[in-house]
Amino acid sequence: MKKFIFFTVLLGIVIGLFILAWPFSQQNSEQTTAHLILNDKPVGGDFTLKSAQGPVSLSDFNDKLVLVYFGYTFCPDICPTNLGNLALAYRQLSEDEKAKLQILFVSVDSNRDTPQRLKQYADYFNSGIIGLTGSKAELDDIVNRYGVVYMIHQEDPKDEHYSVDHSAFTYVITPGGELATQLPHATSPDDFVKTIRTYLTQTQP
Amino acid sequence: MFKHTLALFAAALSIISVNAFADNAADIEVEQPYVREVPPGAMATGSFMTLTNMSDQDIQLVQAKSNAAKKVELHTHVHDNGVMKMRQIPAIKIPADGQAHLKPGGLHIMLIGLQDGIQAGQTIEMTLVFKDGSEKSISMPVKSVMSHSGHMMSH
Repeated sequence: MKKFIFFTVLLGIVIGLFILAWPFSQQNSEQTTAHLILNDKPVGGDFTLKSAQGPVSLSDFNDKLVLVYFGYTFCPDICPTNLGNLALAYRQLSEDEKAKLQILFVSVDSNRDTPQRLKQYADYFNSGIIGLTGSKAELDDIVNRYGVVYMIHQEDPKDEHYSVDHSAFTYVITPGGELATQLPHATSPDDFVKTIRTYLTQTQP
Repeated sequence: MFKHTLALFAAALSIISVNAFADNAADIEVEQPYVREVPPGAMATGSFMTLTNMSDQDIQLVQAKSNAAKKVELHTHVHDNGVMKMRQIPAIKIPADGQAHLKPGGLHIMLIGLQDGIQAGQTIEMTLVFKDGSEKSISMPVKSVMSHSGHMMSH
């Protein structure tokens, strides 16, 4: 009998601790996921997503250097900063260099970002940027291969102005479709130009 | 009756005394405020500036108001191993004799649900509210993300 009470109390304590710890483990999972994914070397690879003009594949640009940036149009600061810097870099390129470069903006917020809306957004930067998005399953496959992390941050399910946590690297893909490197957030326009020229000259036929 | 008058008098006095000490706004100097132009269709943008505290007490910016957006919130960015997490914060501290820098990638005032397309060349009116209830009105230009102002390029 004593044993029974002891185990009941013990079980109660264990369940209690578990309930207490649950919300913390949930909270931490956001961060730990970020670490786990970013520690793996991304493999990259081909993908197909929707644009306002129909499906677009990375392999459509096998003869070009491709820069890919993942974000969302409701992003008030991080995405415009990075795309703005990319646009400033683009302006410094020669016509020949521009012809050998394609910039892709992939929205991880396909609930709000329709291909049409993305086109409007991408065209603003006047750098030939193509806006792309897809279903959650399509996006999750790509972000896993590229080491992109994103999480919808919506405390109130009715909040239409929710933000999205996202990694802010610019992925450099050489002609032929190989993921060469990733550039950190807020890379300066000059550094973008340097990187673009480096990879364009490296891959001259 | 007398009780009522006394209560009213006390209430009035307290309002006056709050106002008398409401000088946070006067101690804050706002430099180079601007709002970032957003692409068409974008619903949110950031406002950036440098706040200088000329007093020897910490001052808290607790709210910002503007007719240009449905909601105006104080925000910061947390960098977590390359992941940018934008979070609302209750206040921005401007340290005694120090500065708070609101800049891309960090602290900013976020304008959510923009009433009209915000375009370079426009001027946005904003009111900053400090912890003591004092307010400061500012006007700031809208700047293009692609202007060579240097503000957008954090190295």
